[in-house]
Amino acid sequence: MGRVTRRHLTDLPGTLGLPAALAVASMLAALALGLPALDRAVPAERAAASGRPYLVGAGVTVVPPAGATLDVTGTRPGNDRGTALFRIDRVRYAIEVEPFDGDLTAAAVRLRQRITGTSGHHITGTQLAVSTAGGLAGVQGGYTAGDRDGRYAVFVAHGLTIEVMVSGDDTDLGRALPAIDASTRTLRYENR
Amino acid sequence: MSEPVRPGAHRSAALVRQPAFWVVIVLLAVGAVRISQIMAIFLKSYPIATLTAILLFGLLAVPFWLFLSELDFMEREPPSLRVVAFAWGGLVATSVSIPGSTALDNLIAKLGSPDLAAEWGAALAGPTVEEIAKTLGVVAIVLIARSQINSVLDGIVYGALVGLGFQIVEDVVFAIGAVRSAGEGDQVQPVITTFLVRGFLAGVWSHTLFGALAGAGIGYLVVNRERGRPRRIAVAGLALFGAWASHSLWNSPLFRESLGDGAVALLAVLLFKGLPPLLLVLYLVRRAHDREAAYYVGILATVRERDLITEEELRVLGSGSRRGAARRHAAARAGRKARAAVRRLQRAQAGLAVELSRAEAGIPDEATPARAAEVREHRATLAALGHPEAVEGTRSWRHTASTLGTVAVAIAVVWVALSALGGA
Repeated sequence: MGRVTRRHLTDLPGTLGLPAALAVASMLAALALGLPALDRAVPAERAAASGRPYLVGAGVTVVPPAGATLDVTGTRPGNDRGTALFRIDRVRYAIEVEPFDGDLTAAAVRLRQRITGTSGHHITGTQLAVSTAGGLAGVQGGYTAGDRDGRYAVFVAHGLTIEVMVSGDDTDLGRALPAIDASTRTLRYENR
Repeated sequence: MSEPVRPGAHRSAALVRQPAFWVVIVLLAVGAVRISQIMAIFLKSYPIATLTAILLFGLLAVPFWLFLSELDFMEREPPSLRVVAFAWGGLVATSVSIPGSTALDNLIAKLGSPDLAAEWGAALAGPTVEEIAKTLGVVAIVLIARSQINSVLDGIVYGALVGLGFQIVEDVVFAIGAVRSAGEGDQVQPVITTFLVRGFLAGVWSHTLFGALAGAGIGYLVVNRERGRPRRIAVAGLALFGAWASHSLWNSPLFRESLGDGAVALLAVLLFKGLPPLLLVLYLVRRAHDREAAYYVGILATVRERDLITEEELRVLGSGSRRGAARRHAAARAGRKARAAVRRLQRAQAGLAVELSRAEAGIPDEATPARAAEVREHRATLAALGHPEAVEGTRSWRHTASTLGTVAVAIAVVWVALSALGGA
């Protein structure tokens, strides 16, 4: 075995010290701050085909509201579950489909618990029955989240729960709600 | 052929005078603040579930920690650096990965399509950000304590500890995510399910494994200086890619639906996705361990004093199973005190080997006489107990039965868990 030479002792990367440590910190910053900055710089919204059903996931489709855009950061279609996120001006219209083995009451309780489980979110008003043109039965209600108002709706069919969450400020929401309600009524389960 | 071990000087007491050390401390502090904020939100919304998750996954970390601490028996890593590695994984790598992975997943959806992100986002975004963030933890250890990375095995241990810290914190975050998704309030059932799936069934081939693989590359880069720099960097890059590929395979949608939902199908998926990287890492660990052990045993073989080490003890010291057999033999012959004394003797002999390696490499070392005295002291204790030599005995039927029983119980427990989760 040879002796430790000066070259050995000054080799990478142990003796680079501060510059190397700052390089490590820079790489972490690139991951934690750079990637999100790049994400923000790339537009997320795509035109949603007006009047045509959009596949949310697990065979559930919806016709997006006229003038809505699809936000791809909140859209993840899948065979057994899926999400779709539409935006109408500053109003957020999200649909989530996932497997569920309970009934409508249980699904509604679960969704309300999730809403109130988020800090600052409160349920408002009473819950009403709602149905879609395709025959899905559900319930809908309202909630507040700080300076934003929200509406929720939930449907259960074919071993799936379909949750609709709409949020925006009072004025925008009032303007967009008729179109969103009309869109929600187009929710349909298509047996694949 | 390069030496498997590059002896390093004693750890400098002036760690605080190194600027790199303070950079690492700042990064750990920032990570601690971020993870504390997340945990505070969890505790406010789901206090019982959060505490249960922290307790369960904290307990899960204990056997992993003990195993990794013992993995490099011949030249154990200092506890302080083990803590730094674990904390890097749990605080820094997680803090970086949460926003980084989300952003990369979004970019896949934006530049590719939502379908691509839904199908392959988890297999591409998570591994890319997380493996880099974790590997930088091993680099950080090298920067603040270069002399402690003496072999590929050191890189494996630190890499695995970084991965372990990451795995534990990530599992807690996932468990609370499951509680929130369940929408049943502050319930522990989703935590238990997450513990069974992510901790129990997937825990063996998760971040600890990926981190060990990437850490082996950093160990090779630092230790094998006889090799050219391009080759060492290429090997380190290949190891990082191996960690990424293993992680990506684990997260990929392959076989997710084709094999069904039963226990057998779940077991097949676990084995197909987890076994190849597990076997690869076990091979690397075995090879690195044996090369390092052979090096230190070779150093000790030059010592011709029977009160320091005997021929039979030399044979025992290089193998983990033989060291264990020697302790059991001591317990059978002279009781539990002898077992503990053999363990202390073996540890002191390993310490003596490390000091002798430093002396042979020309590194100033004044601890050799003290280590030799320590060995003699433990030898005297053993002699007083009537068991002067730490040798292995014949394999007892009790040990064989105990091993078989443990394996049978482990298989039964895994099968029950798979059946419960797979609906068989």
